[in-house]
Amino acid sequence: MNDTDCTVCQTRLHGYLDQQLDPASAAQVAAHLSECTGCARRHDELKKLKLSVRQHAPYYAAPASLATSVFAQRSGTPRLLQRWRQWLAPAFCATTLALAMVLYVATPGSEQPLMDEAVSSHVRSLMGEHLNDVASSDRHTVKPWFTGKLDFSPPVLDYAAQGFPLLGGRLDYLQHQATAALSYGRAKHIINVFILPTAQADTPRHSETIRGFNVVSWQANHMRFVLVSDVEKSELEAFSQLLRDGA
Amino acid sequence: MKRFEQLIAPHLDAAYNLARWLTGNDSAARDVVQESALRAFRFLQRFADGNAKAWFLTIVRNESYTWLKASAGRHWLAIGDDIGDDDTALSHNQTPELQAIHTENAALIEQALQALPPVFREVIVLKELEDMPYKDIALVVDIPIGTVMSRLARARVMLKLELLKLHDHE
Repeated sequence: MNDTDCTVCQTRLHGYLDQQLDPASAAQVAAHLSECTGCARRHDELKKLKLSVRQHAPYYAAPASLATSVFAQRSGTPRLLQRWRQWLAPAFCATTLALAMVLYVATPGSEQPLMDEAVSSHVRSLMGEHLNDVASSDRHTVKPWFTGKLDFSPPVLDYAAQGFPLLGGRLDYLQHQATAALSYGRAKHIINVFILPTAQADTPRHSETIRGFNVVSWQANHMRFVLVSDVEKSELEAFSQLLRDGA
Repeated sequence: MKRFEQLIAPHLDAAYNLARWLTGNDSAARDVVQESALRAFRFLQRFADGNAKAWFLTIVRNESYTWLKASAGRHWLAIGDDIGDDDTALSHNQTPELQAIHTENAALIEQALQALPPVFREVIVLKELEDMPYKDIALVVDIPIGTVMSRLARARVMLKLELLKLHDHE
């Protein structure tokens, strides 16, 4: 081996150490190393250097937080998510608001309290001696009595012939307004008929049961009729039919 | 997104290691990797199947150099060009001090390696710490595959000299 070989070897030695030479070149270098002490020494030296770096040079692994931010913020999906959130939040708010409004408008908000109030008033009227302010079966006595006390004229009719005698009338107060309350008898039962003015349109008859009392209500001629009694539902509905026809 | 994570996640350590060695500081390495990941994500469509590690490290290397240019000026950039890849510099026979070279002092190795110009530092990092084959190093560093070996040869001689210098100072 001559000097030219050593010069070539100085570079090739690295490929040899890194095991990146093709087999033929590697064999040449190996052969040269076995003959040339200078290159062999250099080879050992480089091997040690290589080992020092490999074993002791610090390896900087990526911090865990970097992986998180690379895949959480820099990537597309979370952005998409953020965009979604951006649109979703107002959309959700709008939907909720709309739903709230629909519920507010659609629910008979004033209806249920009125029925409740009517039932309470019915119960109260039977507790003491305050069923009637004007106790009369004569509608010509009862109806004029309301005049001047109400700003509307409730229909007052006697249905004694049909088994619902008029017992009298009184003033009541439902839904923050003066209300006509007529009482009718049915056998031993009492039926309270509450009549109050309303600006709303006519509605068909509606029956329900509140706290065991049957309640029938409807709207006609800008008046609200609420019948409350413990008589049977069918009887109350029959009576309501009489009122509607008579009114 | 799934593909991106599959491609990049296994090489995040290598990316950070290279960026950290090239920039020499943690927060810069962080920024470089973040930026590189963003670029990789953007150009994901262009990456056909192949060597994801070499592809991603190429981006990381470019980003690292961008950072270096912005922060340190350009004085070192000529080094890679001047040096040629001739082997004449290797021909001097330095008396070897095996003790200096075969050190277990991590701080010393780090200091010596950091003293090398980036173009030499990076080949040692890619070879010794990432154990990449020459063909992949050629891709990342963007030099002909034949130049990788001579660049490494040169880098190792420089590293040896740095270690000897530091050893003498002790």
